[in-house]
Amino acid sequence: MIRLALPKGRNLDAALAAFRAAGIGLDGLDGSGRSLRTRLPEEGIEVLSLKDWDLPLYVTHGIADCGIVGSDVLGEVDGDLLVPVRLLQGRSRLSFIGREDTLPAAGTQVRLATKYPNTARRVVAERAWGAEIVKLSGSIELAPILRLAELALDIVQTGRTLAENHLVEIETVAEVAACLVVNRASYQRHRALLNDWIGRLEAAGVVS
Amino acid sequence: MRVSAALPTGVAALLFESARRRRDAEERLVGRLIAAGYSEVILPILDYLEPYESLLTPATRGELYRFVDRDGELLALRADFTPMLARLLAPRLESLELPLRLYYRGDVIRYQEERAGRAREFYQIGAELLGLAGERAEREVLRLFLELATAGGGNGLQVVLGFAGALDGLLLAAGAEDPLRLAAAVARRERGEVRRAGSTLLAVVENGVPDRPEELGGEAADRLRGLHALRGELAAEFPGVLLTIDLAEFACSNLDPLLAGGEGDRPYYDGLVFHAYAGPAALPVGGGGRYDRLFRALGAEVPAAGFSLSLERLLEASA
Repeated sequence: MIRLALPKGRNLDAALAAFRAAGIGLDGLDGSGRSLRTRLPEEGIEVLSLKDWDLPLYVTHGIADCGIVGSDVLGEVDGDLLVPVRLLQGRSRLSFIGREDTLPAAGTQVRLATKYPNTARRVVAERAWGAEIVKLSGSIELAPILRLAELALDIVQTGRTLAENHLVEIETVAEVAACLVVNRASYQRHRALLNDWIGRLEAAGVVS
Repeated sequence: MRVSAALPTGVAALLFESARRRRDAEERLVGRLIAAGYSEVILPILDYLEPYESLLTPATRGELYRFVDRDGELLALRADFTPMLARLLAPRLESLELPLRLYYRGDVIRYQEERAGRAREFYQIGAELLGLAGERAEREVLRLFLELATAGGGNGLQVVLGFAGALDGLLLAAGAEDPLRLAAAVARRERGEVRRAGSTLLAVVENGVPDRPEELGGEAADRLRGLHALRGELAAEFPGVLLTIDLAEFACSNLDPLLAGGEGDRPYYDGLVFHAYAGPAALPVGGGGRYDRLFRALGAEVPAAGFSLSLERLLEASA
């Protein structure tokens, strides 16, 4: 039995579509995401339904052998996980967002609102300007609108919310993808099965 | 006044039954070490920072608790036994009779971000074999490690084997712009990144080893054949342990100077290297290997191999 952790929220659809395309049977799974733990004995899979931010911890501890989680979250809470492939569907961008289309001038200090303080710190460390990083838990785009911060670092999918709120995507910092993550010890134990899954995902053209 | 029983992040007090369990396990392991001819060393919890400066990587530097003593000396809390023992023995080696078989037990203190399962103080038991070269020493150390890890109650023990520098030739031959980044990608099994670097590395990512040992090139190929033999021998001796060879796991344990500065967490290994997981949750419980270059960096030439085990993790895995 292999334990697969699937995320609630925006990466679930991409994950289910990828597994379906690869012919990895999750047919018995209730797609509503309300069931926290589903055993699929015929497939030899147990599916755990977890919040994005908790998922890496469960995989790091080997409670789940593998899982699907966004690279945005991995950048913040990276355990010592293997990341064999990234799903193509549902990709987005991690970008600097502001009211105007310019980044701060060299030598200036601004306030930056984000859900990703560790990533923000790493990115800002390489810039000529400085930032006080403010961690928020949601609706990050409100921070520049309401002038809590000059800048935000957040996920942009289509850019529609930004346009509606007269905000600008100033610069893309990273591409964000849902990633297959695997526990190091589980990879030794379930190597044949996991390699088979990875091979099928690659053959179906749903990962890179 | 009521006092709070709260402790700082990452440390724990063991009371009653949990204290007894740990002492029992400790005595059991120590008994095995003594029976194998190892004698105890007791090391200080505090030391000068200076002797270790050249041995630190960004990762290990970040783990150190450092402070300035009242007399202005920069000190560090013990974060690893092996370098401490090495720096104490290196200047005395000429007057010591080799081989030396030593064991230690005690706490190491490492700063870790606050997360479940990441203690900042943990109890290690370890052994070091100095002055015995080649496969004989590696075999002795690995066998003793397996004996202790199984005696410590590590159910479902998995041990991954490799050797430092195994993939250096392939990593450098791939022509990657940043070979260290490629090494990290191999260690994380990032197939997209590795595929661009050639089919042999991709096979290592998939299967832990190349299709044929020769693909590693000269000396590394011979080492891999030797490792296969050692694995086979020990797998027969420890049938309850899943022993695998996975060179990708140690892609950041490099020897070539062009690959210096990788993020290896114990960067002194230069021969056999291994680590172990135990229990259904696959907790990392310890590891070890050969580290002649640690002594060389301290000005002494002596073959050295050893391992350490985290007692808390072993107990957790056997609970």
